[in-house]
Formats: sequence, C-alpha cells, structure tokens
Amino acid sequence: MLLAGINFPPISDVLNWKSIAFSGTPAALNKVGLITIAAAVITLALFFIAGKQKRLVPSGVQNLMESAIEFINNAIVLDVMGPEGMPWAPYLTGLFFFIFFCNIFEVIPFIQMPATARMSVPAPLALMVWVTFIVVGIKSQGLGRYFKNSVVPSGVPGPLLIMLIPLEILSNFIVRPFALAVRLFGNMLAGHLLLLTFAVLSEALFIKSVGIAILPLPFAMLTALTGYEIFVSALQAFIFTILSALYIAEAMKAQH
Amino acid sequence: MTTTIFAAATSTNPILPATGEIIWSVVSFVVLLFVLGKFAYPPVKQMMVDRASKIRGDLDAAELARTEAQRTLEEYREQLAQAKRDASHIVEEARLTAEALRVELLSKAEEEAAEVRTRNEELLRFERQRVLAELRSEVGSLALELAEKIIDAEVDRAASQALIDSFISEIGASQA
Repeated sequence: MLLAGINFPPISDVLNWKSIAFSGTPAALNKVGLITIAAAVITLALFFIAGKQKRLVPSGVQNLMESAIEFINNAIVLDVMGPEGMPWAPYLTGLFFFIFFCNIFEVIPFIQMPATARMSVPAPLALMVWVTFIVVGIKSQGLGRYFKNSVVPSGVPGPLLIMLIPLEILSNFIVRPFALAVRLFGNMLAGHLLLLTFAVLSEALFIKSVGIAILPLPFAMLTALTGYEIFVSALQAFIFTILSALYIAEAMKAQH
Repeated sequence: MTTTIFAAATSTNPILPATGEIIWSVVSFVVLLFVLGKFAYPPVKQMMVDRASKIRGDLDAAELARTEAQRTLEEYREQLAQAKRDASHIVEEARLTAEALRVELLSKAEEEAAEVRTRNEELLRFERQRVLAELRSEVGSLALELAEKIIDAEVDRAASQALIDSFISEIGASQA
C-alpha cells in the first residue's frame, strides 16, 4: 500500500510546542505564546502607523486600518449594538484583530500554527467576554433586574417557567462562553489538521517518486484549503466579535 | 516538578490548554486592549471623525458659495434689466426732447421767414412809392423841359406848375 509509507505525526506533536523561554516556570513561553504576542504587536503597530500618517486622503496602512475600523463600526457595532454601542468599538476592534492575527498564522509559511487551535487562546477570550457582558448587564440594569431579565422570559405562564428558567440559565451563562470558545477552537484546529493532512500527503508523494503522478491532487487540495483557511480566519474572528457584541448589547438593554 | 507533570498531562490531550500559553495569551490580549484603547485607536478614529467633519464643512461651504453666487447673479441680472430700462427711458426722453426742439425750431423759422417776407413786401411797397414819387417829379420836369424846348417860349414857371400837377395826377389816376 502506498499510504502505508506515509507517516502521520501524532496529533500532540503538531499542537504542543516546547517552551523556548521561562521553561520550568508556569509562564513558559512557547510558539503559541509567541504568536499571541506577535498578534498584539502587529495590531498595535498597524494602528500606530495608521495614526501617525494622518493624511486627509488615506492610502496604504492608514487606508487599510480605516477601512477595518469602518467595517467593524458598521457591520458589528452599529448593526448589532446601535449608536449606544460606540464606546465598545475599540474593545471589539482589538478582539477582532487579535483573533484574526492569531488565526492567520495558520497559513503563514514556517509558522503555520493558529494560536487559536489551542484552547489556551479562545477560552480566556471567551471568559473575558463572559465576564464583560455580565458586568455590563449588572451595571446598566442592576444586579436583580439583570438576572431576572436574563433568566425569566417575559409572557410565559408560571408552570412553564419551572422548565424554562434552568434552560435560560444554561443557555445564557454556561453555553454562551463555552460555545464561543469551542466554535473558534474547533474551526481553527480542524483547519490546521486539514492543512497538515494534505501537506503530509503531498510531501510523502513527492518523496516517494512512485506517487508523483497523483501528487497534483493533494497539492491542489492543499492550495485550495490554504485559501479557504484565510477566509475562515477572517470569518471566525468576525463571528467571535459579532457574538461578543451581541451579548454585550443584550446586557445593555433592559429587555431582549 | 509539578510543571513537568502538568506538561506531561497536556501533551497527551490536544484539547486541554497549557498554563504558559494561557498566561501569554491573556497578557498579550490585555496589553493589546489597553494600549489600543488608550493610545492606538483614538488617533485613527479622530482622524476619521475630523475628515468627516471637514468634508461636511466643505460641502456646506460649497453650498453657501453656490447660493451666494446665485444671489449675485440675480442681482446682476436685476441691475442689467434696470440699466436697460434706464437706457430706453433716456433714449425716449432724448427723442421727445429732440422732437420738441425740432417743432419749436421749425415754427420759429417759419415765423422768421414770414417776418422777413412781410418786411420785404413792405420795403418793396415803400420803394415802389418812392420810385413812383421820384418818377412823377422827374417826368414832370422832363415834360416841362420838353415843352419848353418844343414851344421854345418863356413860360411862367409858377403858372405852369399847376397845369403840370393836374396832368401828372391825371396820369396817376389813369394808371391806378
């Protein structure tokens, strides 16, 4: 069998990276940590460059970042939260760019690892969003009113509430952050493994000259999937951000 | 020792997060949010807001300039029309004045001509009478001289004068 010669690495080999600094301490820095730092630095650098240029007719980085801000303001903040959500624009912009750059390292040559394919990145982000919308809800509606509005659906007869209240608690306070984290994590992990699979396949066929005839097939798939993963990187960042905006907006309003 | 056990545990499970990764991702994200919200985001956003307000201001100014130009144009049109009305008024006035002047001059000229004619007629009549009177006396003396020469006789001048006068008046009467 041809495939018998292909050596797929164990999954932990492509996800768990050796620490390169602070080894042995809890704050061990590895590839994933470096990618998150890079994501933050790139985002800030782009914004600082854009802010420095201050041209009346924007071009280059300024144009790119202004378009991004415009997009996030219109498609996420104004559409989901309305004008009163505008103070949240920097938070959501940061969230979007951080996740996007963590994702896009999936297809950057020689790095090829989405930081979000490790639960270490989506989980804290989802937790932060969770804390944020609960705090916003308590601040804007008051503790009692917020929890009552969140878990007691209006216009439902008494007996049904016995069933609905646990469901609402489950969906609003447990499933939400969990789904937020798992959606991003699962998509990026799956994309990472898909690219890996086709890359390993292409490499094996290339090395074993017998397989050279069917090499174009997995290689074409690898190319197509790389393009697809670029799209997924942006899409997942967008979904995470727009859902965060939605949860915060719901917490801000008295009734949903 | 504990960290190695933890690392060993995570290495078998691809889903569980590693402590170091969590710390670095949280630190990166929190620093990003803080610096972005405090220093990086506002200038870009401010630039966009400034541009929007500048464009709005420019549009307003352009609209203002347009209405101003429209107003000035209307003013000029009004002034032009006024000037045209004034000009035609002036021309009309001049024409009327000229007409009046012409009529006046004409009548004056006619008057003068009539006067000249009357004076000439008078002069003529006066001349004629004068000539007639002269002629009368001339004819009288001529006739007398002629009669003296013809009859060659000494006639009493005073006595014949009455004769001559009656003769002349006879001629005058027959002539008139």
